Amino acid sequence: MKSTDTYNDIKEVNLSYLMLAQNMVRSDREGAIFRLGISEGIADVLGRLTPGQVLKMASSDMLLCNFRFEDTLLLDLLANHERDRGVGHLHAAILAAGRPVATMS
Amino acid sequence: MRNKSVIIEAKDIGLAIELIELGARLQLLEVETNLSRERLLKLYKEVRHESPPKGMLPFSTDWFMTWQPNIHASLFMAYYRFLKSHTQLRGLELIIKSYRMYLDQIKRGGMDTVLSLTRAWTMVRFFDASMLQMATCRECGGEFVAHAYDPTRGYVCGLCHMPARAGKTRRAAEAAASAAIAAA
Repeated sequence: MKSTDTYNDIKEVNLSYLMLAQNMVRSDREGAIFRLGISEGIADVLGRLTPGQVLKMASSDMLLCNFRFEDTLLLDLLANHERDRGVGHLHAAILAAGRPVATMS
Repeated sequence: MRNKSVIIEAKDIGLAIELIELGARLQLLEVETNLSRERLLKLYKEVRHESPPKGMLPFSTDWFMTWQPNIHASLFMAYYRFLKSHTQLRGLELIIKSYRMYLDQIKRGGMDTVLSLTRAWTMVRFFDASMLQMATCRECGGEFVAHAYDPTRGYVCGLCHMPARAGKTRRAAEAAASAAIAAA
């Protein structure tokens, strides 16, 4: 794949991510804080971004969202389909709630 | 000081309707709003088209310890504790929001709603009264509802160590049987 393709893909993912996150924060702030795993500070900033700012942020060559769950157990639970899917996700939600959120310093 | 302001009364009615729709019992409504019992009764019948269930609220902490109620209760507490430490929500608002997130998760997983709003509300009061505590599972590190003062060292949760018959209720068996007939 050519690097320009990669940049375009990154930009697209960034844009989708920012728009999704902004919609989530605006429609259900507390739910978004849990689902995105972010702090209230970040939620406020995301909610306030103008369309122009979203576009500017998205066109960076770095991916803006990073991998959220580093521990193998949680990944295992989310990916594991052997067990009843509902129970696996329920277990994952319990574990995810205990994990720290992304914050701004 | 009952119903001095019309605005406060209107807010109370709005709140009561939301709680009734979520399945709250009358006792919960009486504690959380300033509306009279008669008004609440009328409101309940209007919203649900039936009389509220009679009798006392469940008062035992043991219910939260059996396998299925325990994971449902622990899921609710996971949301509750997360939102308490990461948002400004407090009190009844916090309970309602956590309960809605719990319902969402259960619905998406295609499971039955085991924990009622009244149970969730009662559980928060049990925690406030130090009758329950959270125990950390030795294997997954998740936090689960447990009796206060129970030893929690070496605790293993019901999801890491599923009991052999967990979730194998009569209804699940019937659903599987009817699915098999439909497939045949």
